[in-house]
Amino acid sequence: MNSAAHSALESMRVIDLSGTVATEYSAKLFCDYGADVVNIEPEEGFQTRLLPPFIKGTSISALHAYLNANKKSVCGPIEKNYLERFLRKSDLFLYSLDDHRAMEAIADSSANQCCISWYGESGAYSGYKGSDGCIQAMSGLMRGIGAPGEAPIIPPGYQAQIIGGLSAFNGSMAFLLGQLMGNLDEHFKLDCSILEANMCLTDLGPINRLNGNEIPPRMGINRFPPTYPLGVWPCKNGWLGVTALSPSQWKSFCQLLDLDDFIDIDFFDVSINRYMSIDVLEPAILKSLEEKDAEELFYRGQEMRIPLARVPTMEELLKIDQYKTRGAFTPIKSGSKSFLAPSSPFRLLKTPAIDLRVLADLGEHNGYLDKL
Amino acid sequence: MLKGVRIVDLSMGWAGPLSTRNLADLGATVIKVESCTKFDWWRSWEATQEWIDDDGAEKALPFLYVNRNKLDITLDLESNEGRDLLLKLVASTDAVVENFSGSVLPKLRLDYSELKKANPKLIMLSMPAFGATGPWKDFRAYGSTVEQSSGLPHLVGHADQSPTMQHIAYGDSIGGLNGTAALLIALWHKRQTGEGQFIDLSQVECLFPLSAPGILSQSAAKETPTRSGHNQKIDCPHGVFPVQGEDRWIFIHVKTDEEWQIFSSLVDELSDFNDLILVERQRMSEKLFASIADWSCQQDGQVLMKMLQQNGIASATLNTSDDLIENEHFQSRGYLQWLERAFVGNQPHPSPPWRNGTEAIKIKEPAPTLGQHNTKILKDWLGLNEAELGGLEKRGIIGNKPRL
Repeated sequence: MNSAAHSALESMRVIDLSGTVATEYSAKLFCDYGADVVNIEPEEGFQTRLLPPFIKGTSISALHAYLNANKKSVCGPIEKNYLERFLRKSDLFLYSLDDHRAMEAIADSSANQCCISWYGESGAYSGYKGSDGCIQAMSGLMRGIGAPGEAPIIPPGYQAQIIGGLSAFNGSMAFLLGQLMGNLDEHFKLDCSILEANMCLTDLGPINRLNGNEIPPRMGINRFPPTYPLGVWPCKNGWLGVTALSPSQWKSFCQLLDLDDFIDIDFFDVSINRYMSIDVLEPAILKSLEEKDAEELFYRGQEMRIPLARVPTMEELLKIDQYKTRGAFTPIKSGSKSFLAPSSPFRLLKTPAIDLRVLADLGEHNGYLDKL
Repeated sequence: MLKGVRIVDLSMGWAGPLSTRNLADLGATVIKVESCTKFDWWRSWEATQEWIDDDGAEKALPFLYVNRNKLDITLDLESNEGRDLLLKLVASTDAVVENFSGSVLPKLRLDYSELKKANPKLIMLSMPAFGATGPWKDFRAYGSTVEQSSGLPHLVGHADQSPTMQHIAYGDSIGGLNGTAALLIALWHKRQTGEGQFIDLSQVECLFPLSAPGILSQSAAKETPTRSGHNQKIDCPHGVFPVQGEDRWIFIHVKTDEEWQIFSSLVDELSDFNDLILVERQRMSEKLFASIADWSCQQDGQVLMKMLQQNGIASATLNTSDDLIENEHFQSRGYLQWLERAFVGNQPHPSPPWRNGTEAIKIKEPAPTLGQHNTKILKDWLGLNEAELGGLEKRGIIGNKPRL
């Protein structure tokens, strides 16, 4: 444990019945801030134990370790009678709509529940199969990524589920807080759709269309009309992330890249005009960038108040001073192995996240719930 | 649900306002504070007199949809009077939210140490791009800068193309959701102990969980991840395939050998490959993908998705914005709610992503107009009289119209 005298959620107990990336990420947020989180796993363990990447030289999923460090692992069947015994000793049950065992066991119980599903518990697609890619396709995110004329690019990993899990945490916490404040007298049963959680990325599209605005088709990698310049570009050494939105940022960017000829052209003060002039502007920008060092441009640009970025590889990311200074990556221990993983992205200064993270073995806490 | 929670929202753009919109949707009272000269840049970052005269500040769709269910006042925080009024408001609030770059609030003498003098039990969520500490704490960023800085683009796309961004403002939405989470934890703690606290949220770090497989590949598996395009090395087929129509696509994800047997039995071109197990499919993925594409491009996307789903195969059409409006699932869930709003008429709003039972949480109020609640809050809550309000307006400390 860290030196905090008090963890914000230490009075809370959360049960994960299903062990999907979404339920586990949701429960992880409770766990990071001190809640007692118990995974009730089937004999073979939750499916996330099989997800890559694996800790080098082992068959232990580093992703599972990241999602489940500091949680308790109870291994056994989920039966209605078993759950009923400790319903009153738990604040929240998380489960997936795809998990029929959990659904049957929790049905009609008087516990606070959060059901995380791909599409929601009702509606035309409620019974549909899902995956992260399905959500990114259906939400409209995927079709905007990539080059025109080619198949759109699939965002990698489990991003849709992480967003769904985070959103489900927000819903569950708000309802638990509502109970604490006396605003809700009875238990709740939340329906959290991963699709609807991910719509926060794309729902401006339909809103724009319903107001008669055109939505540009997929224009290419790192092309986001009407904004220009915006993208990730190669420099002599590394990659530079560029966003020059306002007229002053554009002029400063030109100054930084020694593109003085563009500075006094009023037409280019407007973003859409720059976008429509890519054929003129981009060759000059790329030529200037290829002669310059990304890191140097980044620091000089930020001094000039241009929101430039270093775009680090994963290897570089773990070495960047800004992130090291802030402890953005902290160790997780699994057996004799230890590796860095993302820390909580927000720091509550009086009740910080627990910084000592250890992965339990499958079934290490068998019998724990019976002793409560 | 959160009736009784009061938030003062100094944030602008997308991330901060989304974090407080979530709380407002759940019943918290959120008071947005702008000024006539430093109004929310989400209204426009290219403001002109013509735009002001045309009431452009009240018509920005992005602003309207992240600020619903909130109250709005204007205060010139660079003036002593405006600052003092903000401090009075803060004295009776649970939390303040801001997403300026690091130097802005200290210059206004409105950083946490100052605000806490007005309210010792205050929660303050500060959510600049890089967080409140570290050598980059004062650096400027938009949501795009946040995504670039997170390294995520190095995991997206094809190895022979540039690191690829997924969205123009990915960092904003994810930062906003994390801001909501942080506030709820702090509010829980405050409700139990009476203690407020400072929350330091880095929007860039909020994207690290989304990059977790890549980060862990580097740190735990000791392998530098590459951009692998559609070949994500887990399941096969897992890809995007053309369907009938221009630039129309479907995503198909076959998760098990059993699902492959079902899928391949539906496609004549794949009948010879029915018995392939995962590693064999991965080895032959180029040939299989070509066969699937030859077949899928003759199919209607919606019909194909339904047929595959009926056979238990995860699949989804790659929707456009128009598709989303017409989508039967969103319609059957009552996803869009409509509210009348001055200057723009009836406007659609996406429902909150949680529901207790079957009905979507009702959105009660559209986004406020600039300074719409000056009188309600300054007079009814803070006790100013009409003459004092008139004086503030005359001196430009409050108002209802932007000024350049």
